[in-house]
Amino acid sequence: MNVLHVLFKVDGTEYAMPAADVVQMESFSGATPVPGAPAHVAGLVQVRGRVIPVVDARARFGLPPSTPTLDSRVVVGQLGERTVGLLVDSAREVLKLDPRTIQPPPPMVVERAKGFVKAVAQVGPRLVMLIDFPRVMGEETADVDGQR
Amino acid sequence: MTTPGEFAEFLPAYLAEVDELLASAQRDLLAVEEAVRRGAAQPRAVRELFRALHTIKGLSAMVDVEPIVSVAHWMEASLRVADQAGGRLPESSVEPLVEGLRAIEQRVRQLGAGKPPSPAPANLLERLEALGPQVLEAAPREPRAVVLDAQAAFASKLAPSEREQLEGGLAGGQRAVRLDFVPSSERAAKGLNINTVRERVAKHGDIVKVLPLSGAAAGGASLAFALLLLTHSEDAALLEAVGGAPATVRSLAVAAPLAPPAAGPSAPPPAAGPSPALLPAMPGALGVPGPEDDLDEPEVRRGGGLLRVEVSRLDEAMEWLAALVVNRSRLTRAVTALTAAGAPTRELAAILQENGRQLRDLRSAILRLRMVRVGDVLERLPLLVRGLRRTTGKAVRLELDVGDAELDKAVADRLMPALVHLVRNAVDHALELPDERLAAGKPPEGLVRLGCHARSSGQLEITLRDDGRGVDAKAVAQAANAPVPESVDGLLDLLCRPGLSTRQEATSTSGRGMGMDIVRRIVVEQLGGELRMETRKGAGTTFTLRVPLTVTLVDAIVFECAGLKYAVAVGTVEELIDVDALKVVRPAGADGLGLLERRGAAVPLVSLERLLERTAPGDAQGARGTKALIVRQRGEPVAFAVDRLLGQQEIVLRPLEDPLVRVAGVAGATDLGDGMPTLVLDLGALGAARVGRRMGAARSGGWAS
Repeated sequence: MNVLHVLFKVDGTEYAMPAADVVQMESFSGATPVPGAPAHVAGLVQVRGRVIPVVDARARFGLPPSTPTLDSRVVVGQLGERTVGLLVDSAREVLKLDPRTIQPPPPMVVERAKGFVKAVAQVGPRLVMLIDFPRVMGEETADVDGQR
Repeated sequence: MTTPGEFAEFLPAYLAEVDELLASAQRDLLAVEEAVRRGAAQPRAVRELFRALHTIKGLSAMVDVEPIVSVAHWMEASLRVADQAGGRLPESSVEPLVEGLRAIEQRVRQLGAGKPPSPAPANLLERLEALGPQVLEAAPREPRAVVLDAQAAFASKLAPSEREQLEGGLAGGQRAVRLDFVPSSERAAKGLNINTVRERVAKHGDIVKVLPLSGAAAGGASLAFALLLLTHSEDAALLEAVGGAPATVRSLAVAAPLAPPAAGPSAPPPAAGPSPALLPAMPGALGVPGPEDDLDEPEVRRGGGLLRVEVSRLDEAMEWLAALVVNRSRLTRAVTALTAAGAPTRELAAILQENGRQLRDLRSAILRLRMVRVGDVLERLPLLVRGLRRTTGKAVRLELDVGDAELDKAVADRLMPALVHLVRNAVDHALELPDERLAAGKPPEGLVRLGCHARSSGQLEITLRDDGRGVDAKAVAQAANAPVPESVDGLLDLLCRPGLSTRQEATSTSGRGMGMDIVRRIVVEQLGGELRMETRKGAGTTFTLRVPLTVTLVDAIVFECAGLKYAVAVGTVEELIDVDALKVVRPAGADGLGLLERRGAAVPLVSLERLLERTAPGDAQGARGTKALIVRQRGEPVAFAVDRLLGQQEIVLRPLEDPLVRVAGVAGATDLGDGMPTLVLDLGALGAARVGRRMGAARSGGWAS
């Protein structure tokens, strides 16, 4: 079965995640920084009354930072109980990916991508990285038992 | 003389009590009105209404609120007549009664706002006074076809309405019987007590009254209950329901062919004389004429076990709990430090974890105490709609489907005005007049339906649907002087523009315009919820509100630091001071830390800007702010320099639950109305955490920039 995916770009590379995990897309007009949060957390944004953390994909993937543009999007995803956002350079496309075109990533990509890329799909001439969304959002906190 | 001042200390309790009575009176009056329209008697509601006013009068006399006493008195007087007339009211009496309740409510609000109540409108009093004779005229006078066995039925203890109910049942072909139940420990062990018996007997018919009987009862017991009921069941079935002998059944009909009257002397005589009043009635306090009936049954009110608690006390408990939580996090840090130093802390850590769970449980228990039933909160809406029906001339039916969802009191109090607004708009703007509706092929009566249910995400979803004309996008766009929106979200945005009105003239009910901006402000900004709309031309509009079930309200100081707004709980701030840069001492090697003099002691001055990592450490000039907040950090005062103080306000604190942003020193986020989350800081914890982190990082040689 072909599965609907949301495609987005970070630093020129195309990434994808299943549309079923995406709640919505929002344009990005800045986030409220949270002191003490992991460096790849851009901050908090308000999406329909909810306050959610946004992870900066560039920072997460170890890419050079860039200034947000009108194309910047927050991909709002659902991770179990959590609602989290991923800040990407642009997100324009929704595509059905044929599972037969999806391959495990080459070892070098695995290494470089810190496990964030779990597969590579071929879409015509383009290569699209399927991200491991839970892993990208991660939960890296210093706290031991989840209590403040 | 009205001098509420003298009774100030009783006032909160009085207001709470009267509020509750008013709510039940409004419910009963609606039931009465409904019955009046059908031409039926509504003895129970009339009686409850009478009691509510009787009590309101008594309570108001106690705190000396003369206008309420007068209104309640005349309402009570006419209702007494109606009660004696079997719960019948003429249609003309409903309006003055509604106005009476409204007049009382207004005065209660005035008292609640610390104002003296306005005098009772003379014209209303006159109309209420004239009600009594009208009610009497409307009472049916036909001779009674059936007679009750006065002794068996405790005629002296029966209210006229109850009597009428029994007689009416008899005349309608039902059996009126008295079923005596004798409780005992063996029966209780089998699950038979007066409450279960009530339920079991209720399956056989209508229980009109339950009277406890003391003195020797059948079977040698000293306590029994007599249930007077209307039924179609046979004696055997009834006896079975109450566990068999020594229970007895006897007919209440005199000269009925089925059973001879007064089956024998086995039944104990009823306790003589009226029982003492249970209601806090205060006859005589006023010199009000009229005998006090025996209104009060020695019947235990069911559904008890309720306790009224002032919200401030719950808040206090919550505050103590917050203190415990803060203390616990200090403890956690201390244990972590011990562990790092190589101490055996395994057991300590386990206890700490258990303690954390207990605190969470305690927290949710206290939060549950603050929950109120949504159904109770919405009690006023039917009356509101009734009033709108009259002022707009529209036929409206309000359907409530609220189930047993619960909501935090603080949320409910904020939400109510928004709902009132939406219901008003629906009736006033959305629904068409009956003719118009008929012409459009709709039933003449408009429907406003309010439904709500709790969602698993800790939110309550409320939908308000009307089957009116729908929102006219063009008219809205024109009124807002904007292009016609493409999406329904865009249309809602337009509707929520402050001051937008699609009406040329103000109406008395909705005033001028929609006030949707207020609804949105309450739902989205104050409560952190969601507001959505669906609308179809000619078919109606549905608003969907999603609000959190609980909120935490905090009195906060809002300030600016390095270009961003922050809030901090007022309770944590000891003092706000001006910082004179020239007087700040900067000791060598203190890494930008300043010292300032405060009442003879040196207080460290910390740059919040740096603490919040808003500047590169290299360009730090130390604390530059011109204002500072003094907060205790580990018991010692510390001044946090900020750029600008923006004011003090109540905010809704939303805890940050995601692990990515759950950090020490940030209590949560709030929305100050700009659509951006604003951090609510816990400065003491923030300072402590950063110092700890810096030292930790320095140890591992990592802290540099």
